[in-house]
Amino acid sequence: MGNSIAEVSALKKSFGDIDAVNGLSFAIQQGETLGLLGPNGAGKTTVISLLVGLLKPDTGSVSIGNSSCAEAGDPTLTATRRLLGVAPQALSIYETMSAQENLDFFGRLYGLSGKKLRDRVNWCLDFAQLQDRAKSYAGTFSGGMKRRLNIAVALIHEPAILLLDEPTVGVDPQSRNHIFESIEALRERGMTILYTTHYMEEAERLCDRVAIVDHGKLLALSSVNDLIKQYGGASMVTGEFAELPKEIELPGELTGKLIRFASNTPLQDVAALSAQGVAFQTLNIARPNLENVFLTLTGRSLRDG
Amino acid sequence: MNQVLVMAIKDLRLLFRDKLGAFFIIGFPILMGIFFGMVMGGPSSGSDRAKMKIAIVDLDQSALSAKFISQLANNGSIELIETDLEPAKESVRKGQRLAMLVLTEGFGETAGIFWEKPPTIQIGVDPSRSAESAMLQGMILESIGQLAGQRMGDLSSMQDMVRKSREQLANDKSISSGNRLLINSFFSSLEGMTQSIEALQTDADDSSSSPVENGGFEFAKLESIDVSRKIDPASQAGQMKKIKSKWDISFPQSTMWGVLACAAGFAISIARERTQGTMMRLQIAPISQSGVLIGKALACFFSVMLVISFMVGLGLLLGMRPGSYPMLALAALCVASCFVGIMMVMSNLGKTEESVNGAGWAINMVMAMFGGAMIPVMFMPQFMKSLSILSPVKWGILAMEGAIWREFSLSEMMLPCGILLGIGIAGIAIGTSMLNRE
Ligand SMILES: Nc1ncnc2c1ncn2[C@@H]1O[C@H](COP(=O)(O)OP(=O)(O)OP(=O)(O)O)[C@@H](O)[C@H]1O
Ligand SMILES: [Mg+2]
Repeated sequence: MGNSIAEVSALKKSFGDIDAVNGLSFAIQQGETLGLLGPNGAGKTTVISLLVGLLKPDTGSVSIGNSSCAEAGDPTLTATRRLLGVAPQALSIYETMSAQENLDFFGRLYGLSGKKLRDRVNWCLDFAQLQDRAKSYAGTFSGGMKRRLNIAVALIHEPAILLLDEPTVGVDPQSRNHIFESIEALRERGMTILYTTHYMEEAERLCDRVAIVDHGKLLALSSVNDLIKQYGGASMVTGEFAELPKEIELPGELTGKLIRFASNTPLQDVAALSAQGVAFQTLNIARPNLENVFLTLTGRSLRDG
Repeated sequence: MNQVLVMAIKDLRLLFRDKLGAFFIIGFPILMGIFFGMVMGGPSSGSDRAKMKIAIVDLDQSALSAKFISQLANNGSIELIETDLEPAKESVRKGQRLAMLVLTEGFGETAGIFWEKPPTIQIGVDPSRSAESAMLQGMILESIGQLAGQRMGDLSSMQDMVRKSREQLANDKSISSGNRLLINSFFSSLEGMTQSIEALQTDADDSSSSPVENGGFEFAKLESIDVSRKIDPASQAGQMKKIKSKWDISFPQSTMWGVLACAAGFAISIARERTQGTMMRLQIAPISQSGVLIGKALACFFSVMLVISFMVGLGLLLGMRPGSYPMLALAALCVASCFVGIMMVMSNLGKTEESVNGAGWAINMVMAMFGGAMIPVMFMPQFMKSLSILSPVKWGILAMEGAIWREFSLSEMMLPCGILLGIGIAGIAIGTSMLNRE
């Protein structure tokens, strides 16, 4: 299918008797943002570790790159590693080095030097909006600034694929928004991104396709719209009215002057009720979301973990 | 290779950014080296703190000899112990007394009468403490001079006598320049004193007699007795005679503290890479795991060489004079290799910075204690001395001392250097395999 740039197939990894990743197969298409959505302990970080070669799969295989890149191969090959940029879930930057020094060091590690390196460092500082704090130790940064630097370091060598492991954990709403914006900017530039999260809002906002994982297994993989269409179930209609005509058959339960019902055709149903003389004062039609998808697929809520 | 250097440079930079770490690597060894150098003293140290313990044997038993003794005792820096000839000699041989003085029979008859044959005072001095003995000689002359002054109450003749003595002193090649300086300053003060007393005596006696007739004059004839301790050149005391400056012992010893701090510092830095997550980035970067470790090892090696060079440089400024620079370079290379290996093993002693720090320094302290970085091995009780061979610190100090003052030949250097290299290679092998296993 399409033009994939990374593939995992029948991937298995267990720690003792915990099957962290249990027979996972998927491909990341060039230029897409693929979300890996799952609760805590679903195996997202383990997938990333397998993808970058930090862990060896028990069975199954990982291949990075495609026929268009010379470095394509197994991520344990040093050349192949250049294709990957990783922002790990746990911050991984030198606290007693400035933002600039962190970028400079990792840039050199990836073989950059001279003007190319300076340009990349500057680009990354801009990306992370850390130009004015470039010379301060990372240890003096706020949580959000550290997160941004953590992502910027992953981009220093212009990787073909960016792997972001829960990049907004422990970040205030403002910084979070900033991270969203910078990821959206990367998407527009055609960056391939694997984005893991347990927030469905993030997956909905940022991802072209979403893979839903739980207990190391892939439950579904499709675009957000398709997933909702397929597993989201009915919309939820909530309305409030001043007065109810007598002799009316209601589609859902009634609490006082509040009516609540599920419907696959919410607009038609509301129109029909209006025609019968129900005068809505407030009306809310909630489209199903990934939360509902997850609930349908696992019987649990995402937030339950 | 390039990436290994990038790693090493980064690590060196981080090491010296850690203020406390940098203090233990450079500051502490400096303080230690200077402090112990001053405390332990050495051949060139003028000991003016403790009183000099002198055994005195009065064979004359005259009123004047007693007077001389009391005058000498008045000198604030001498502690006199009157005893007999044999116990006196014994006490100097054993190093309990700095020197012994013997006032020979007939001392009282001529002491202080400068035109007579000067009295003989025999001096026996611990040969390893020549600086003190020079001072002692000055003080003896001073006391004799006072005796003469009292005996004659004749100031003008005394001035004359001082001048003459000085002239003679200037021509006496057998007196070392240090002693000459001491004695000269004594004469100056004597001269000053007699002049001021003279100024008070408006009517000085017309001293018609010119006392010095044969052009020679001595306050006292200082005769030396051989009490040199019988020292076997291979023995410890014989070895100690090779020490050329008071920094010779304290600097190799304190340098090892800096070396230990480097090993602990880099072991901790490996643990820190793990806890702050950067190890993961290094593992996924296009640098092999062994590249990362070689970078660390290289940085550790550099920093040890840096510490040793710095301490040697400081020692040079203070007057330490290493016997052989090529040997010193060899010693430094071996010490650095050894402690790179120890660092590698140390970095596996815990998962967190704190645990590696704790375990690393615990091991450092034991190595330092038994290796002679706290108390030099030669001053240790026997059981510690025999255990010291297990401590790399001992071999590090020995290698450096071999180059600095022990006058080791290349083949003598082989033992400490071989052991150091062996530990280094074993440590690197064990440490790397432990780190790779994770
Ligand atoms: N090194 C390890 N040793 C033992 N168990 C592990 C290890 N790494 C992960 N696990 C287990 O594997 C499972 C999946 O963990 P993983 O970190 O991949 O989940 P996750 O989806 O990233 O969770 P989170 O959202 O909390 O980050 C968990 O049960 C975890 O306890
Ligand atoms: Mg995770």
